[in-house]
Amino acid sequence: MKKLILAVAVAVLSSCSSGRNYALAIVALVDVSGTYLDQKEEVINLIKKGIVPKLNPGDSLFVIRIDDESYKKSNLEGSMTLDVRPSKANAQKMAFAAKLDEFAKKRERARHTDIRGAMMLGAEYLKETGAGSRTMVVFSDLEEDLPKGVKRTLAPDEFAGMRVFAMNVKKLNADNANPTAYRARLASWQQQATSHGAKEFKVVIDPEKLDELLDH
Amino acid sequence: MERFYLWPEQPGASLFALWFFSQLIFWAGRVPMHRAFRSMGRVLFGGLRMAARWLKSISVSIAQRDREMVMEMARGDAEGKIAREFRRIENSFAKELNRYPKLHRKIDDLTSRLDSDYGECGSAPPAPPGWAEATAAVAKMPENGDGMVKKVLEEIHKSAQAGEKKALQEYRESTAKRHKILNGMASMWREVKALAGEAGKSVAAALDSTKRIDSYMATYEQTRKGDHKAVRAMGWQSTQLFVVSLIVLGVAIGGAFVNFNLIALPMSELVPSGSRIGGIPVSTVAAMVIVLMEIAAGIFLMEMLGITSFFPKMELLPLSRRRIILFVSLGGLLLLACIESSLAILREQIVESSSALKHSLAGISEKSVADPVFSRIPVVGQAVLGFILPWILAMVAVPLETLISTGGHIVLTVTAGTLAVLSIVMRVLAHGGRYLVEAVRHVYDIYIILPLQIERLATGGRGATPLREPANQQARR
Repeated sequence: MKKLILAVAVAVLSSCSSGRNYALAIVALVDVSGTYLDQKEEVINLIKKGIVPKLNPGDSLFVIRIDDESYKKSNLEGSMTLDVRPSKANAQKMAFAAKLDEFAKKRERARHTDIRGAMMLGAEYLKETGAGSRTMVVFSDLEEDLPKGVKRTLAPDEFAGMRVFAMNVKKLNADNANPTAYRARLASWQQQATSHGAKEFKVVIDPEKLDELLDH
Repeated sequence: MERFYLWPEQPGASLFALWFFSQLIFWAGRVPMHRAFRSMGRVLFGGLRMAARWLKSISVSIAQRDREMVMEMARGDAEGKIAREFRRIENSFAKELNRYPKLHRKIDDLTSRLDSDYGECGSAPPAPPGWAEATAAVAKMPENGDGMVKKVLEEIHKSAQAGEKKALQEYRESTAKRHKILNGMASMWREVKALAGEAGKSVAAALDSTKRIDSYMATYEQTRKGDHKAVRAMGWQSTQLFVVSLIVLGVAIGGAFVNFNLIALPMSELVPSGSRIGGIPVSTVAAMVIVLMEIAAGIFLMEMLGITSFFPKMELLPLSRRRIILFVSLGGLLLLACIESSLAILREQIVESSSALKHSLAGISEKSVADPVFSRIPVVGQAVLGFILPWILAMVAVPLETLISTGGHIVLTVTAGTLAVLSIVMRVLAHGGRYLVEAVRHVYDIYIILPLQIERLATGGRGATPLREPANQQARR
C-alpha cells in the first residue's frame, strides 16, 4: 500500500513539473575576415550589451569565430552555461565579458570566410545543449569565400528548430554599386537556412531589434 | 428576383403577374394563415409566460432559501451573543462569588470593630456620687466663727475643687480618647464605603449584562418568529459585512502581490531557477507557496485564538493541543517573516549586482550611479516590509471568513434578483410577441386589402369578417 501511495505521489509530482525545456541557447558567429575585421569591436560590444544581459540562469552562450576554416573546435572563442543561482550567473557573465574583451583585442585576420563551417559548428553546440529555444546570430557581411579544397554541405536538418539572425550585415563596395546583388545574397542565405530546417531567418539592421527578437 | 419573372423581357408585366397571383393565393389562404398566426402567437405567448412563471418560482424559492439562511445566520449570531454574555456573567459571578466570603468577612469584621468602637465612645466616666450635693450643703451652712469648723470646711472646699479638677481632667481625657476612636472609625467607614461601591459596580455590570441579554433575546425572538424587519436588517448587515470584507480582502491581495514581488527574485537563489512548473519558473511558484503558507499559518493562528471558526473540529480539541497548534503557527509565521526579511535583503543585493553587471557590460562607471549613504534606505525598507507583510497577511483569515459566511447570502440574493428580472423580461417578451404576431396578421390583411374589399362588395358587406377566438380561450387570457 505504501509503495502504491509513493508511486502515485511520484506520478503526480512528475506530471506537475513541465517536461519542456525553457532554457535559451545562443550561438554568436563573429566574422574576422578582412572585409569585416573593422566591425569586430562593435560586434563584441553588441554581444555584451545586447545578448549577455538577456541570458537567464540555465541559458547558454557560445561565441564562434568565422575564419578560413571555421569548422574547428579551436574556433570556439568562449562558451558559458549560466548557473541556476542568479548571483553566480552574474559572476559568470562578468568573466565572459572579460573573455570577449580579450577576443576583441586580438589582431587576427582571416583570408577566407567559411560561414557555413561556423554555422555547422554552432548548430552542433546548440543541439548539444538541448535548450528549448535555439538561436544563431551571425555577425558577418555574408560573403562566403571558402579556401580551396574545403567543402561545406549542410544536412537537411542542420538548423532544425533554430532561429537564424543575420546581424550587422556589412554592405561591401560591390553592394553599394549594385544593391540587388546584396539582396540576392541575403535571399540565398535565407533560402539555405530555411531549407535546412531553420524556423526563421531574419536580417536585423537595428541592434535594438535583437532585444525584441530574443524575447520573442 | 429576375428568376421569378414569367417574362424576363417584360419586368413590369412579370411583377404585376406575381403581385396578382400572390394576392389571389394570400386571399385564398387567409383563414388558415390567420389560424397559423394565432397559434404562433399562442405558442410564443404561452411558452414565454411559462418560462417567466418558472423563473419567478425559482427566484421565489431562492429568495426563500436566502431568507431561511439569513434567519439561520441571525439565530446563530444572536445565540452566540447570548452565550457570550452568559459566559461573561458566569465568569463575573464566579469571580465575584469567589471574592464574596472574603468581602463578607471583611465587612463583618469592620462592622464588629465599628460596633465595639461605637460602644467605647458611648461609655463616659461616672461623676463622683453625691459629692456635688454634699459640697453644696456644706457650703450653705452658716458661719459660726468656729475655727475648727472653718478649717474643716475649707479643707472640704479644697478637696471638692481638686475633685472637680480631676473629674474635668478625666472627662477631657475620655473625650480625647473617644475622638481618637472616632477618628480611627473614619478610615473603616471609608473602607466599608469602598467595599460597598465595589459591590455596587459588580451589580451594575451584572445589570448591564442582563440588559444586553434582554435586547439579544428580543432580537432572537424576532428572528425565531421570522419577523421581516429583523430578517431585512440582518440581510443588510450581511451585505455590509460582505462589502467591507471584499474591500479588506482586495487590500490584502494587494499586500500579497507586493509580498510576492519582494521574494520572487531572491527565491531564484534558493531554488533552481531554470526549472518550471506548467511554464512558470519554480522560483515564482516557491514565492507563491510562501505567501500562501503565510496565509495558512494566519488562518490557524486566528482559529486557535478563537477569532475565526473555519474548522469546527479544532474547537473540540483540548486546550493543551490548541495551545500547541497556536505556538506552532505563531512560530511558523515568525520564521516566515524572518525568511522574508532576509530574502528582501538578498533581493537588494541581487538587484545591485545585476545593475552593476549591466553598467559594466555597457561600459558605464559605477561611481556615477549610486550614493552609498542613500542606498541603505531601500535595504532597510525592504527588510522591514518583508517582516511586517506576513503578519498583515495573517489577518486575512478574518475578512476571508466573513466573506465566505456572507457570500452565500449575496450569491442567493443576486441569483434571485437576476431570475426575477429575467422573469419580467420574459413576460414583456411574451406580451410583445403576441402583439407582434397580431400586427403581422393585420399587415397580412392590409396586403390583400383589394381582394378583401371586392369580397365585401360581392357578399354585401358580410365578407372578410375577422376570425373570432373560441370563448374558452379568451376567458383563459
